[in-house]
Amino acid sequence: MENLFQWGGGMWGGIGLAVLQIVTFVVILLVLIAFLLLFDRKVWAAVQLRKGPNVVGPFGLLQSFADLIKFVLKEVIIPAGANKTVFLLAPVITLTLALVGWAVIPVAPGWVISNLNVGVLYLFAVSSLGVYGIIMGGWASNSKYPFLGGLRSAAQMVSYEVSIGFVIVTVLLLVGSLNLSDVVENQAGGIWNWHAFAFPTIFVMFPMFVIFFISALAETNRPPFDLPEAESELVAGYQVEYSSSPYLMFMIGEYVSIVLMCSMLTILFFGGWHMPLPIPGVDGLPEWLLSLGGLLVFIVKTTFFFFLFAMVKAIVPRYRYDQLMRLGWKIFLPTSLVAVVIVSAYVTFQNASGRQEFDRLDADSSGYLEAPELAAVILPSGVDTDNDGKVSLAEYRDRARS
Amino acid sequence: MALIAFYILSTIVVLSALFVVAARNPVHSVLWLILAFFTSAGLLVLIGAEFLAMLLVVVYVGAVAVLFLFVVMMLDIDFAELKQGFQNYLVVGVLVALALLAEIGIVAAAATFGGGTTFNANPGAATNAEALSRVLYTDYLLLFQMSGIVLLVAMIGAIVLTLRARPTVKRQNIAQQTGRKRKDAVELKDVRPGQGI
Amino acid sequence: MDFLADINNAIPEAALAGFGLVGLLLGAIGGDRTAGLIRLLAAVALVAASVLTAYQFQHPGAADGIAAFASATSPDGLYRVTMFTLFAKTVTYALAALALLMSGGFLKTSQMERYEYPLLIVFGSLGAGLMLSANDLMTLYVGIETLSLSSYVLAAFRRDSLKSAEAGLKYFVLGALASGLLLYGSSLIYGFTGGTAYAVIAAAPISVGLTFGLVFVVCGLSFKASAAPFHIWTPDVYEGAPAPVVAFFSTAPKIAAVALLAHVMFVTFGPHEEAWRQIISIISAASMLIGAFGALMQNSIKRILAYSSISNVGFALIGVAAGVGNGAASVLVYMTLYVIATLGMFGGVLALRRGGRAIDNVSDLNGLVKQKPGMALGLLVLIFSVAGIPPAAGFWGKLQVFQAGLQADMTWLVLVGALSSVVSLGYYLRLVWAMFMKPSAGELDKTDISIGIIVLVTSLLMFPILTVTIQMLLETAARASGG
Repeated sequence: MENLFQWGGGMWGGIGLAVLQIVTFVVILLVLIAFLLLFDRKVWAAVQLRKGPNVVGPFGLLQSFADLIKFVLKEVIIPAGANKTVFLLAPVITLTLALVGWAVIPVAPGWVISNLNVGVLYLFAVSSLGVYGIIMGGWASNSKYPFLGGLRSAAQMVSYEVSIGFVIVTVLLLVGSLNLSDVVENQAGGIWNWHAFAFPTIFVMFPMFVIFFISALAETNRPPFDLPEAESELVAGYQVEYSSSPYLMFMIGEYVSIVLMCSMLTILFFGGWHMPLPIPGVDGLPEWLLSLGGLLVFIVKTTFFFFLFAMVKAIVPRYRYDQLMRLGWKIFLPTSLVAVVIVSAYVTFQNASGRQEFDRLDADSSGYLEAPELAAVILPSGVDTDNDGKVSLAEYRDRARS
Repeated sequence: MALIAFYILSTIVVLSALFVVAARNPVHSVLWLILAFFTSAGLLVLIGAEFLAMLLVVVYVGAVAVLFLFVVMMLDIDFAELKQGFQNYLVVGVLVALALLAEIGIVAAAATFGGGTTFNANPGAATNAEALSRVLYTDYLLLFQMSGIVLLVAMIGAIVLTLRARPTVKRQNIAQQTGRKRKDAVELKDVRPGQGI
Repeated sequence: MDFLADINNAIPEAALAGFGLVGLLLGAIGGDRTAGLIRLLAAVALVAASVLTAYQFQHPGAADGIAAFASATSPDGLYRVTMFTLFAKTVTYALAALALLMSGGFLKTSQMERYEYPLLIVFGSLGAGLMLSANDLMTLYVGIETLSLSSYVLAAFRRDSLKSAEAGLKYFVLGALASGLLLYGSSLIYGFTGGTAYAVIAAAPISVGLTFGLVFVVCGLSFKASAAPFHIWTPDVYEGAPAPVVAFFSTAPKIAAVALLAHVMFVTFGPHEEAWRQIISIISAASMLIGAFGALMQNSIKRILAYSSISNVGFALIGVAAGVGNGAASVLVYMTLYVIATLGMFGGVLALRRGGRAIDNVSDLNGLVKQKPGMALGLLVLIFSVAGIPPAAGFWGKLQVFQAGLQADMTWLVLVGALSSVVSLGYYLRLVWAMFMKPSAGELDKTDISIGIIVLVTSLLMFPILTVTIQMLLETAARASGG
């Protein structure tokens, strides 16, 4: 999809195409999230032996859209003492940052708006900015509960970002690239190659997946870590003074980032768009069909994690604030730090001979790295000691010395 | 294209830097500062240093500025008093600013007309991250490790200066709390109507 | 790169860093009960580092000018040991160890006995060693920052005391500014020479940008050495910080900072001598005068010692201004003699307590000779040495720098030095007068034996009986500057 940019004819064509892609992506994403929201409520209702929304449309399918219209049509109330600009900027920032993160998510083979080389870092950066919307909203409301909620939320998000960062580092060490498409490609071939299950790293990576999942709950302020908006303590936290469309933006932003976290779980640990089992004969199918299939697999996996998020919300009671901080700093942080050490040691010793890396680079398994393969790797000049235009395994091993 | 983007971004950087100083409300100052950081990251992307750009966002915008914002929001700042101080130091401040500006001007002029040095812009690696890590973990290992020591010292310092063992504060034993069983806490009583326990 | 060879050169620093980490773990597990043990171990580690450095110094083939952590991008390495810096490092580590040993009694009586204290001193010394061994502006900065951060925390270590907290904060704010100046200068130098390695900078032709960078770097380094006009923090920090911390500040980091300034001038900017000679001599003259006149009006002993240190840094800088050929040895001799004498004097400040409280006012010294004649005599020798009155050893140090100045045709600077020497006699003799002539000011507490020993040893070292020592020191320093 990147090369689509060249088709558009010059600069403006490229920009137009990019805008078109983004708009299409966002619209589809938001519509999907409307249904996920309903799904969330249905799951929650089912656990509590209720029916959930079932009035608007068949099975209540149009409930989210009815809510949308309700929110949009209501009056926006801005508290008298509020800092108006910041007050209105906060929900916009929350929603924008949540959406912006999707730019680097590869939803299917080649289907990504921007195939950044530092995609993982980008996601990490964007998610670390999410705290601003909340802290600004809490401050600008000029009211005690929102302010306390904002501070709590900021402390919570900053704390859990640390362990999320280390968990991501373990995955990156296994992949050897910051590009999310590479992360997914590294898990091709079947469920036994997915990072959460691959042997022998499963003993480290599966716990890392669990830590990531729990941290994702805390990072997105989902129950049982929804202390910033704990109604028994803070009414509704930073959202107390918000109504109508600004509130709607906060809520959509929250759900968009939850789904983003689910998709990150899918990409980092559960093989992205890859099927659990390799299906023979699919290679012959046209590329667009394969991509569409990949997209479906991706959506199913992401929805599964969203289901887990919903179940956690329905089942687990809320944490106390000091317990939350203790869990983040005293348990997750050391555990993930140790995991980084173990994984990097594993990667180093596994790669000591350079064999694995060489085989990965040697796409046609010829035993040599020739012209097309050499383009994909940076080698010091003079690595080709016998000057035959290709690099053998022995030469590759000696690359550090030459 | 890149040139247009450069001018747009650098205009935003300069303007927001100006507003950092000019804003009356300190929280607004920090918000402008964040915008300046963020846009600088954009400039870094333009010159192809995407790894540095992301680090700038993660470290400065995502962590440092959040702390700034925290502190500024929780402090009760008297704006009138602040402005008074500003008046007093205005002359000195302007002089220092002019001196620095002149220095930058001289240096820039010397760099433009006096040649200057060219740098190796192409480190010879596929991505920024790879290029950086190749030197960071080999040639500059000493600095990398010593930076770790610097941070460790900073951490020790923060703990030394703030951590106090207060004997009067009640503490919770989390292990005890989570290890509590149902039978330790709940007792079933068969209460007869009208009699109480 | 050959990692083992690199580490081999940096063994003293590696040992210190290793001990710092192990000690931290020990302290974190054992809590403050282990503080005394860790203090002893830290002193042992510092002595070991000093001995290892001295070993490298004695076996020049093993270390002289050998670069470590070399690579394709920096062939001269990030780390380099030369005879000059080895000498400075040996003294630095040894004095840090002594300052640490001396602090035990004070820490116990003022409830500051915490395990972080010795560790911060170890890390600070590590930073001092690293900045001296730097062969690249980046290493220099990392070393300085390690030392500075430890120093800020140490200055505020007695956090319940308002003065200590104030000292820490002042030191931190001004120190951060100085680090900023240093970095700004370094970036200018990098921009105009295309490198941060000392060799690259030395080889680059002088240009406007390089000169500007040089000025900023000199400013930053002068702050660390507390030379005027960057001395303003010194009296406040000396007064506010706990006494053992000041004893550390005025010895190990002091000689390290001055030696670093000299080393950077001699090596990094060696070929650009014309560009920095004027700056250094002005800083030197200003420091001597401010130190001499500033102390006249002070009543606090710690503040007097602070101004004395400013003035003495100025004297040492005469040697730097004289250039590498004339002055290198004299800088080392002067600073070594000065910091040893200062250590003894701070020993006195630490040891003399009245009713459980440390003395600070000059009048507290009144009639010391009647109560503790040994201590008074020892302090007399030390004060004479710092003041540069013959026959104490400090006089020979002063003679050395003056000679270096004269050789370099800097007669005016030497005259300023002589003038400020005379002025500073005013307050040095005031201390002596208080100790020997005034009536007693009241009963003093019993002296800590370890401090008594240190005062005795340092005063003996400063006494001309041991002219041999000075001769040895001169020869060693000459060898150091030759390397």
